[in-house]
Amino acid sequence: MSRIHLQGLTRRFGGVTAVDDIWLDVADGEFLVLLGPSGCGKSTLLRMIAGLLAPTDGRVLLDEADITHLPARERDLAIVFQSYALYPHLSVARNIGFPLRARRWSRDEIQAKVAEVAAVLDLSELVARKPKELSGGQRQRVALARALVRDPGAFLMDEPLSNLDAKLRSSTRAEISGLHRRLGATVVYVTHDQVEAMTMATRIVLLDKGRLEQVGTPEEVYDRPESTFVAGFLGSPPMNLLTAEVVPDGDALRVRAADLDLPLGITADTPPRPVALGVRPEHLRLTTPDAAGIRGVVRTVENLGSEEVAHCVVGDERLCLRGARPLGLHAGDPVHLTAAPENLHLFDPGSGRRLAWQPVPSFSHHPPPLPHPAPSPI
Amino acid sequence: MTAAAVVSPVDDEAVGESGRARSIAGHVVLTLLSVACVFPIYWLYATSLRAPEDVYSLSVLPWPLSLENYADAFAKTDMVGMLVNTTVMAVLTALGQLLVALLAAYAFAAWRFRFQKLLYLMFVGTWLVPFQVTMLPNYVLLSRLDLLDTLAGVIIPTLCSAMGVLLLRQHLMGFPKELLDAARMDGRSSWGILWTVVVPTLRPVLAALGILLAITAWNEYFWPALVLRRGNDVVQLGLRSFMGTEGNDWGPLMATAGLTCLPVFLLYLVLQRHIVNAFVRSGLK
Ligand SMILES: Nc1ncnc2c1ncn2[C@@H]1O[C@H](COP(=O)(O)OP(=O)(O)OP(=O)(O)O)[C@@H](O)[C@H]1O
Ligand SMILES: [Mg+2]
Repeated sequence: MSRIHLQGLTRRFGGVTAVDDIWLDVADGEFLVLLGPSGCGKSTLLRMIAGLLAPTDGRVLLDEADITHLPARERDLAIVFQSYALYPHLSVARNIGFPLRARRWSRDEIQAKVAEVAAVLDLSELVARKPKELSGGQRQRVALARALVRDPGAFLMDEPLSNLDAKLRSSTRAEISGLHRRLGATVVYVTHDQVEAMTMATRIVLLDKGRLEQVGTPEEVYDRPESTFVAGFLGSPPMNLLTAEVVPDGDALRVRAADLDLPLGITADTPPRPVALGVRPEHLRLTTPDAAGIRGVVRTVENLGSEEVAHCVVGDERLCLRGARPLGLHAGDPVHLTAAPENLHLFDPGSGRRLAWQPVPSFSHHPPPLPHPAPSPI
Repeated sequence: MTAAAVVSPVDDEAVGESGRARSIAGHVVLTLLSVACVFPIYWLYATSLRAPEDVYSLSVLPWPLSLENYADAFAKTDMVGMLVNTTVMAVLTALGQLLVALLAAYAFAAWRFRFQKLLYLMFVGTWLVPFQVTMLPNYVLLSRLDLLDTLAGVIIPTLCSAMGVLLLRQHLMGFPKELLDAARMDGRSSWGILWTVVVPTLRPVLAALGILLAITAWNEYFWPALVLRRGNDVVQLGLRSFMGTEGNDWGPLMATAGLTCLPVFLLYLVLQRHIVNAFVRSGLK
């Protein structure tokens, strides 16, 4: 199994920069998920790793060897496409054996290996069929088998589950995760589905407009989004983002807006500063009208079965609240909400980057600075 | 297709009386067109089956039937030899054109290279150059190469079919790109991909195009006439033997013509679905 290093990988199409200066290390045995909205450059990045597309700039390393200019067929990588790309004229067995025939294995070796892989993926009964005689889930498994049969250094997968229905998707998800654990294989997996990313990834890479927004474990990217993009992309509904201001109140900091007043739990003094306040829908709690918090009006209530989501307006901004059913809210109700200081996230309204409180050393003569972008925790 | 749409009851109900009138008018037009297409062919076979003295008869049914015209045609020309020659010529031409078109179309569709657009336009542009323009230079070249009066001389100058390139490129443009990518990842070279993935997948299209090209080659008259000069090596030229300055020998002429058309009709009957398919898929209709 292999490590992959991307160094300043860039790809431009005419004036469009599809992938913009990506630096990334994929460790051996890692399940790395590339996550982002449609058109953010996930497929382009994956195709450059695969060698199907030449980068405009930057390098790709596989186990420290520079493979940037190596043709796809000489890279020790296998890919699974969204469309599965099965050869329509070949039986399942011959589809799975295709990479081995290209590598001039002997007939007996191919037969043995194909049978072995088909058994692993529960395809043994189907080996004589043509792809068009298979269901979507079965086709998907054949595509997986064709990648598996070569024992490649790493697997690349481009939205392999997006053509399956919801139920099949979750079972195949578990199957791929299990396969990854069993083989200890390095996987780079592209999806725009955050559930897939959260459940399968050892690390998630969030991309936006070709740029790397954040890399981290599922917990890190969910609990500590580094930007408003990440905050607004993950979660369903995603994190609420409200325009507010950090102001000093006595010796503590509060975040305030017209219908909003919450303590930040930071003891400090600083001049007022505009921020984007982020708070997850599940972290909002109902409170009494006289307590400090967020005042809004319920617009609609969505029933998700076990939970309910209340869509509210606060001033002229939207806010979602998620909790166990019944929430006891109805359209038109006024709501009073609060959230614990540790569940509040602050972002710079201009750059969208996360703000962290960084106390200034006490010997400084300058006034304590504003919360400012920094990688250290609050 | 058209007829089915015209008589569909849903149509009738939806548009009422005026719809029915239109449907009848449609049938009348289609019937007239069919008769106009089929009648000359019918007349050809009818005439060929009349007794030699009835050749100018205008009766719709050829009666009494006679095969004398066919016997005459076989006696006066080397009919079997001509049919064999023509088959060889048509098959070799079609296969050659298919190969050239496949390679060219693959290059144009699956590769990016300099001057690609320009080259493609030039390729297709040869379609627009009238045959009469290239005829003389080709003839001179063949005579220099000593290929006049040979089947090779008929076949070689026609090997590049612009229509074939155009149609195959169109198909290859619609070929799933991920399939080519998958084959690359699976370890095939570009050449390997062509033969192990593209050709097997496009087999129906290639078959249909091959048939089309073979029929076109089979029906060619002018170019073989030019290259083979006075020789009657292909069946289309055999027809000449029954045309004279003192008038045509209609009976055997029709018999030969009938035999000439026969392989094409048979081919069409057997492979009708493929041929129609090819036209539908090519978007030419
Ligand atoms: N061959 C190409 N020519 C021009 N532009 C391209 C080409 N391929 C991709 N792009 C552009 O690059 C950007 C990224 O495309 P890409 O296919 O990588 O997105 P993606 O993240 O995979 O999206 P999706 O989730 O929809 O598959 C898009 O803006 C797209 O229009
Ligand atoms: Mg994509």
